[in-house]
Amino acid sequence: MASSIAITGSGIISAIGCNKKEVLHSLLNQKTGIGSMKYLESMHNHLPVGEVKCSNDELKSILGIDASKIVSRNVLLGAIAAKEALCEANDNDLPSKKVVFISGTTVGGMDITETFFAQMLQDDTFLPYLRNHDCGSSSVEIIQLCGVDAEVCTISTACSSALNAMIVGAEMLKRGEADVIIAGGCESLSKFHFNGFNSLMILDTERCRPFDATRAGINLGEGAAYVVMERAEDAAKRVTKVQAYISGYGNRCDAFHQTATSETGEGAYLAMSKAIQSSGLSIHDISYINAHGTGTGNNDQSESVALQRVFGNNVPKMSSTKGFTGHTTSASGSIETVICLLAMMNNFIPSNLGWGNAMENGVIPTMGETNVELTNVLCNSFGFGGNCSSLILSKEQPKLACGVEKRKWRVIAEVEVNADSDLSKVKEFIPPMEARRMGKLLKAATIASQQALNIAGIECPDAIITATSLGMLETSEKFLNAMIVEGEEALSPTLFMQSTHNTIGSAIAIRNKCNGYNITYTQGSKSFDWAMQDAIRLIEEGEANTVLVGSYDESAPIFNSFLQRLNEPECENVYSKCVILTTA
Amino acid sequence: MENLIKTLKEQIIEALNLEEITPEEINANDPIFGDNGLGLDSIDALELIVLLEKNYGIRFADPSEAKKVFGSIATIAEYVSKNRTK
Repeated sequence: MASSIAITGSGIISAIGCNKKEVLHSLLNQKTGIGSMKYLESMHNHLPVGEVKCSNDELKSILGIDASKIVSRNVLLGAIAAKEALCEANDNDLPSKKVVFISGTTVGGMDITETFFAQMLQDDTFLPYLRNHDCGSSSVEIIQLCGVDAEVCTISTACSSALNAMIVGAEMLKRGEADVIIAGGCESLSKFHFNGFNSLMILDTERCRPFDATRAGINLGEGAAYVVMERAEDAAKRVTKVQAYISGYGNRCDAFHQTATSETGEGAYLAMSKAIQSSGLSIHDISYINAHGTGTGNNDQSESVALQRVFGNNVPKMSSTKGFTGHTTSASGSIETVICLLAMMNNFIPSNLGWGNAMENGVIPTMGETNVELTNVLCNSFGFGGNCSSLILSKEQPKLACGVEKRKWRVIAEVEVNADSDLSKVKEFIPPMEARRMGKLLKAATIASQQALNIAGIECPDAIITATSLGMLETSEKFLNAMIVEGEEALSPTLFMQSTHNTIGSAIAIRNKCNGYNITYTQGSKSFDWAMQDAIRLIEEGEANTVLVGSYDESAPIFNSFLQRLNEPECENVYSKCVILTTA
Repeated sequence: MENLIKTLKEQIIEALNLEEITPEEINANDPIFGDNGLGLDSIDALELIVLLEKNYGIRFADPSEAKKVFGSIATIAEYVSKNRTK
């Protein structure tokens, strides 16, 4: 019998409060956290943001960290939320259990790197902080600050990162690969992604208005949220009441564009459908939907279509809570999951703040309700690259089908591309108009993946799993360098849209039109192991018959010069390895 | 105007990495978006906005405003000649 998953603790920090109690109070009183920029330093300070209302020093004091210590804001937010979740779960036996911390982020330690980058170019004073730059090491720092001995895994699928972290956690628990999972995500505002979104011209100069006819973009927010997850039978032995059960989830890919969603909302439609199907519930059982609802013209149109495709004329009560928190990007999936938990436990529906005018053919959000019982809640989280995920929380423990017998797997193709001279082969696989934007890593990834798929005789694998330690380092470095050296104006949107870790897996999905499961792991040298573990899980559980797993990394000139000065090994020029797994 | 058109073609080829195209091959009156002309997309539109800001000091408040100008190289040249601040 497969286990169902119980949530026994949760924690949150966002623009509307530094803990669950404060967040609940703001939600019930319809109090937004979006306002003028106070802590982020940017010349575009006329744009509203959803900042956590604490300086870094104040965050450090909450955690009891010495103010003189340099710690990433992203890590501070993550540690505060994770600690609250652990405290609620109140599990004194953690040291004897297998604990895994799964965190979603894209910023990682970028907030520190961008602060000291100009000085790093000059002298060695702050150079050692480069070791905390990558997403994986920021997750390690968070769990260390919580004082918990855990294995660490980082997911980076842009704005759906945190939701995917919870999905991976649920699968690990079901298969007995962990006893306790702490999953969610964190994202502090960084000058890097704030300027990136600005270069895409999708930041609203006023407060965001999700699903409103006059919507004109997003307000970026920041924060973190985590949940403590256990198998229901384990939770029943030690707690009297669980907060909710995770009854279903789906991870699918829109496979349409790096920064835009398809008009038909394909990825969102597939993710929601999969979540509902896996929960064993019917569409009529869903009592509330927390929509992704960013406030951009594109997302809200596309999500409306997807909701109508899934629910027909009976779309359940729904709202986007980004009018409270701003778009907290990689953290949004877990922040909104904890908001859903608060709604379920306190019998209310949060308002779709900012809404006033119906969109043409759009869904009509609710402006808030009280005294309403929520039995099953669906939470949507969609990201760049079309990484769409949905999760269902239920009050009652779901009845699950019997577990299936594990299938066997084997590797049927393996290709490595790591020489500059091989990169011109990219023209064999894609037209020049598509190749023109690709740096060396995307070229190497395209060649290796297409060659591996050719060997396997597959055009579209059921799942695409990506592993990368530092991600799209060259484009990220170019964007960062331009922003610091030349200033915050006229920055290239192409560089930004190719800076997220999930760019690679998404590019392959778009190229081969793969709408299936799509995820990116980034945990230093362990990234590939995590990716393989996931691929094997999908095949053994019958969730996929063919999986493309890739490991991709590259060097960048300034980053390499920093490593040289630190006497550390430089990054390889370019490395791309693709493996195809199938059933045996 | 002829010179401005030639310069714009070169700047666009460089900014958008149109490696396989020469300035002579672009007809200044052809549409720049869609399959019947240069075949550029919405991200290119954003890059063109950056290009005009950097080189000519022209700012657009939102992409839809810019799209009206981005018909062909000739329409861009005409707009630039009237609105440039550098």
